Amino acid sequence: MPKGFIGKVRLGARLMQYDDPKFWRAGAISTTVVMAIALGMLTVDSLEAITPGGSHVPPYSVINRHIGYVYNGRLGRDMPVIGADEPLFGKPVTETEAAAFMERGKLVIQSRSCINCHTFMGNGAYYAPDLTKAWLDPAWDTWMAITGADTKEEAMVRFLMAPEQYATWLRKMPNLGISRDEAVATVAYLKWLSSIDTNGFPIHFGRPQTSR
Amino acid sequence: MSRSKNLAVKYLVAAILFFGVMTLSGLMSAAYYIQPDFLFGLIPFSIAKMLHIDTMIIWLLMGFMGAVYWFLPDEFEIEPAGIWAAEILFWVFVSAVLVVAATFVLVQWGAGTETTLWLVQQGRKYVEAPRWAAIGVALVMLVFAWNVVGTALRARRFTGIMAVMSVNMVPLVLLYLIAFPKIDNMAVDLYWWWWLVHLWVEATWEILIGCIMALAVMKLLGTSRKIVEGWLYVEVSMVLGTGILGLGHHYFWIGTPDYWLGIGGFFSALEPLPLLGMVVHAVYDAGVHRMKTTNRPAFYWTLAEAFGNFLGGGVFGFMITLPQLNLFAHGTQWTVSHGHFAFWGAYACGVLSVCYIALQEQRRLAVVNGRGWVWAFVLLNGGLIGMVGSLLVAGMAQTFFERAIGGSTLEAFIAGQENPWFVLGMYSRMFFGLIFTAGYLTLAWNLLALGHREAAAVAQPAPAE
Amino acid sequence: MTPGVLLVTSVSLGFMVLAAGAYALLYGIGRFRNSRGLLVSAGFAYGALVLDAAGLILAAPLALEWKLLIAGSALAYLGIPPLTWRYLQHTHREERAHP
Repeated sequence: MPKGFIGKVRLGARLMQYDDPKFWRAGAISTTVVMAIALGMLTVDSLEAITPGGSHVPPYSVINRHIGYVYNGRLGRDMPVIGADEPLFGKPVTETEAAAFMERGKLVIQSRSCINCHTFMGNGAYYAPDLTKAWLDPAWDTWMAITGADTKEEAMVRFLMAPEQYATWLRKMPNLGISRDEAVATVAYLKWLSSIDTNGFPIHFGRPQTSR
Repeated sequence: MSRSKNLAVKYLVAAILFFGVMTLSGLMSAAYYIQPDFLFGLIPFSIAKMLHIDTMIIWLLMGFMGAVYWFLPDEFEIEPAGIWAAEILFWVFVSAVLVVAATFVLVQWGAGTETTLWLVQQGRKYVEAPRWAAIGVALVMLVFAWNVVGTALRARRFTGIMAVMSVNMVPLVLLYLIAFPKIDNMAVDLYWWWWLVHLWVEATWEILIGCIMALAVMKLLGTSRKIVEGWLYVEVSMVLGTGILGLGHHYFWIGTPDYWLGIGGFFSALEPLPLLGMVVHAVYDAGVHRMKTTNRPAFYWTLAEAFGNFLGGGVFGFMITLPQLNLFAHGTQWTVSHGHFAFWGAYACGVLSVCYIALQEQRRLAVVNGRGWVWAFVLLNGGLIGMVGSLLVAGMAQTFFERAIGGSTLEAFIAGQENPWFVLGMYSRMFFGLIFTAGYLTLAWNLLALGHREAAAVAQPAPAE
Repeated sequence: MTPGVLLVTSVSLGFMVLAAGAYALLYGIGRFRNSRGLLVSAGFAYGALVLDAAGLILAAPLALEWKLLIAGSALAYLGIPPLTWRYLQHTHREERAHP
């Protein structure tokens, strides 16, 4: 219903207020302004929450820790859980080094256009799997075996450097010329990504449901 | 014919050609789902898909620009300001798009450096074009804004429609700046990216197509300016009233606070309301003016616009917009089905309507009719609806098996993709995609050929249809 | 929410808006042609909407505020076609009277 609508009784041939374009013009302007201000205010709050260290997004140095994803009964949804020390490749990094990984990792993700096959938090393309919780995917055990890697992160790095050699399915990922440094940064990025509180998406990750 | 109208025709022709590229790359993308080795090693899925979605944005944008350049001299009765710059930039724009497309296909990717972002691609959906090209696009849009606002200033009058269009230009152009930065934090990247995408296609583009349709309806049906302007303001109120905070339906799962579930879900659920109003308006116009249109294809594409927008955006959107459901359906082929239907209905149909309006005047046709446009209309809309229905089936299967049951892992993803209903959906989509392609070819031929025989018969009364 | 209920709920929500569209279409053509038959059909379309909304409100696993939103939407959909029609008729009539 229009904002500030006041029905006027029609007398003879006099126009009712809601027929006058100027009424709706005023409505258009006021609606837009109010909504834009609301959006602005919510943006300020949201940006604070999604800055690393904010309420929903851990600092980049979280890659030094174990990351889990566990159902929280109180909240009624899954929540990322930051645990004990578990540095990537056994080497803890400083906040600055972690940030450097993120910068490099994001450059790799953009330069190879990963988002045009995969999704990140469900955004992107749907030809390849969602990468939000890729760090937590049980399938890496298989890749550890076929790449001969001792750790999950090593398996991920080897996969990224030569994905066409380690295909496990009919749909294959092409070789994108990813160097070892780039692969390491990308793996760090994916680990950090999995620690973001996404309000429970994807739902019950890793826990297949039996009832339909 | 005025320079602006000549430029308009160039833009509309370019739009239709890029529509063809979009269709071809769409077929390629669809082929991958059926035959995973299709062009693997030559042109990976990501490249085909990138071409597909980017040319969609480009052809629609060029269609809008063509429409505006067409109507500008009629609105202001003078040659638009800065038209010389727009004429040059048309060729710059088209060349840039071709170079970028060639880069996508031939170079495809680069090392993880800023140089790649400047020269090869930026890897953010819809705005993958390298920064050098993005600068070009921004320049084209700035000149476009100048052509509109400058002409109004030169003519010393702002009609209601042009006032809305001019004011709308500001956020339209400014939002494009979001195509430039590289943001390390994916949550922040997506936060701003959604400002660009949503506030384009669910806000500023809606306003722009509203203005274009207002101009089209004045020409097509002879509706008075006061009526279309009043309606335009109603639309702006309701579309922006629901759409600005409806942006929140993209903020459910990207790491933002959970108040967005309530805010986004609520306003998004209201978004179909103005679309229903547009359906009523379309029925009214069809009923009242039906006998008085000399341009049947333009009129039918306008109706398709109102209904397509409502069905694709309203009905299909409402199925998946509540957060409790979106949690399962987010980022599946269900999204794809909604996206295809909404873009087609809300924008493509409107651009095609303007093509026929311009064509009528350019070729001086008393009446625009015939069988060609009907075939194109049926094949395109039928093909589109078939594709969208197929994607809906595939999307529901994916949601059910990968997300609701499977636990969203890689294994669950594969299980979903191999589910018989999903596979059926992919084959079916390809089938209807071919029908759509046949429709495109018919449309292109119709636009090319229409009127060349009839032009000779303009003086004679047209047969009753 | 079980997987089956998820699909049924989504389809029901889509159907609600679809029914609103059918109601709007039948209402418009019915008003234009002054056809009682079409207006009654429009009523049936809206009836389908009401049944669908009722089903959602009674059975869907949604919190109260979302059910209120569905109920409110159903009411809004009822009013949009006749109000829009009245607005369009009035503006066109005024236009003919005062061009």
